[in-house]
Amino acid sequence: MTPAVEVKNLTHYYLKGTENQVAAVNNINLCVEKGETLGIIGHTGSGKSTLIAHFNGLLKPDKGEVIVDGVNIFENKQTLRQSRFKVGLCFQYPEYQLFEETVYKDIAFGPSNMKLPREEIERRVLTAAEMAGVKKENLEKSPFDLSGGEKRRAAIAGVMSMEPQVLVLDEPAAGLDPAGRRDLINMIKNYRTATGCTVIIVSHSMEDIASVADRVCVLNKAEIAMLGTPKEVYSRDEELRAMGLNVPEITKIFLMLKNRGFNVPEDVFTVDEAVAAFREFAKGGVKK
Amino acid sequence: MSEKLIEFKNVTYSYEDGESGSQLPPALNNINLAVYSGEFVAVLGHNGSGKSTLAKMCNAILYPTHGEVTVEGMNTSDEEKGDLIRRKVGMVFQNPDNQIVATIVEDDVAFGPENLGVEPSEIRRRVDESLKAVNMYDFRLKQPHNLSGGQKQRVAIAGVLAMRTDVIVLDEPTAMLDPVGRADVLSTVRKLNREYGITVIMVTHFMDEAVKADRVVVMNKGSIALDGTPREVFSNTAAVKSCGLDVPQSTEFCSRLGIKKTVLTAEEAVDEIINTYGDAAR
Repeated sequence: MTPAVEVKNLTHYYLKGTENQVAAVNNINLCVEKGETLGIIGHTGSGKSTLIAHFNGLLKPDKGEVIVDGVNIFENKQTLRQSRFKVGLCFQYPEYQLFEETVYKDIAFGPSNMKLPREEIERRVLTAAEMAGVKKENLEKSPFDLSGGEKRRAAIAGVMSMEPQVLVLDEPAAGLDPAGRRDLINMIKNYRTATGCTVIIVSHSMEDIASVADRVCVLNKAEIAMLGTPKEVYSRDEELRAMGLNVPEITKIFLMLKNRGFNVPEDVFTVDEAVAAFREFAKGGVKK
Repeated sequence: MSEKLIEFKNVTYSYEDGESGSQLPPALNNINLAVYSGEFVAVLGHNGSGKSTLAKMCNAILYPTHGEVTVEGMNTSDEEKGDLIRRKVGMVFQNPDNQIVATIVEDDVAFGPENLGVEPSEIRRRVDESLKAVNMYDFRLKQPHNLSGGQKQRVAIAGVLAMRTDVIVLDEPTAMLDPVGRADVLSTVRKLNREYGITVIMVTHFMDEAVKADRVVVMNKGSIALDGTPREVFSNTAAVKSCGLDVPQSTEFCSRLGIKKTVLTAEEAVDEIINTYGDAAR
């Protein structure tokens, strides 16, 4: 199957040609399969945001290629324009980019630019609003009258309404309270189930990534340091810590217990999983 | 008992509707709270619970619609006291990019004391001291835009330190940072509290940060729902959850295993589990 997004030998320099030239991403090779949810984690400045900005051609690589749905997006103007529709990019704190008079118009902005018929735009706005959890009664309000969490959802709906094959979210839950964070992650899971689309999530939260991603890509100093299932990646606790990252607190407990001779699993990322796994262990242990 | 530094008495605050000018439902509703000298208070609450509003009332950015807020006895509603209050209470905000004004790190830190009319030689001394306190002295001649988020936040904290405020109020200072940046900012804040005796009020969404405070105040829908030590507050899982928040994963895990003691960190959890289930491992 053709991958959703493929980057080959991708390098991007900032301050190119000056003495301060630095590679923000350095010779990255990554293949994102259709329908998967990929989590990207890494310390500040590891290249996460630079990398995803190449997926729809916002940044042009200094070296290497970006292939979306089998097409090299920098081939010509047409392919570049198409990549903008195929890959929907939702930046960090997207609520700062709301600008229209009404939430409806804001969500309709993308599809309107795609020159779709009016009925199709309406269908997309309503579908996206529902998927992103934007309340119907908020559609005619000014986006500036919504709460922070509602604005976030409206902004995400504005990307979903373009019905991209690949939805890329940069820190979608940053700044939300725990309940809001959970709701948002669930919303992304439901979106993925409903649409079957490829989802790429950048986050500092190892908990969020563990609960939503099929695979995790760890960036460190502009390069891919690890790529694998959450289980494979999170078991490398010490390497992650050396890169300035942390496994979820609950995973840490299980890794420490393992070290202390407890025969418990290492791939435990949520409290529910932990309680179940520990009860299982306690049963076996007591029997012994 | 140390002295009361900031006191909220029956404080209600309502924002105005931008268009009609009418008052919206109160963001803070009859708040009574005293913060004592030397305390490290974490303020938790769901989005829209009123935590940021509470923070902004501590240095007269906002003042009450009803009731009063006093800082060392000075009423924040008294306009003449505004400058004095802001010399006592400094603020650090969430977004590291919105609060740096100068193009060189040390100039940014000097901005506050310059505005206070401090002597140049004294400014020099304060800037160096403050940058050392937040572990950013080696970066004093760098340009802020080349710093990481955590480094920028520490520069912002140094800027407040250089004003020699007694209290530092931080409104979600780590929300935009990665784990290392978060840890650096938090350890800096703790150091200022422990070693310099600065009173800290820190609004946060992170339970693992709240655990490091002396006292946790939980806001819910404009009111104070819980107030106590981290152990007291997080022992009441149901109450914390009913405010739309979580207890730390370690706390919840141990409580669901039926461990009586309230644990706050992964290390404590492991110790308690070994105490309780030690035999199972052998």
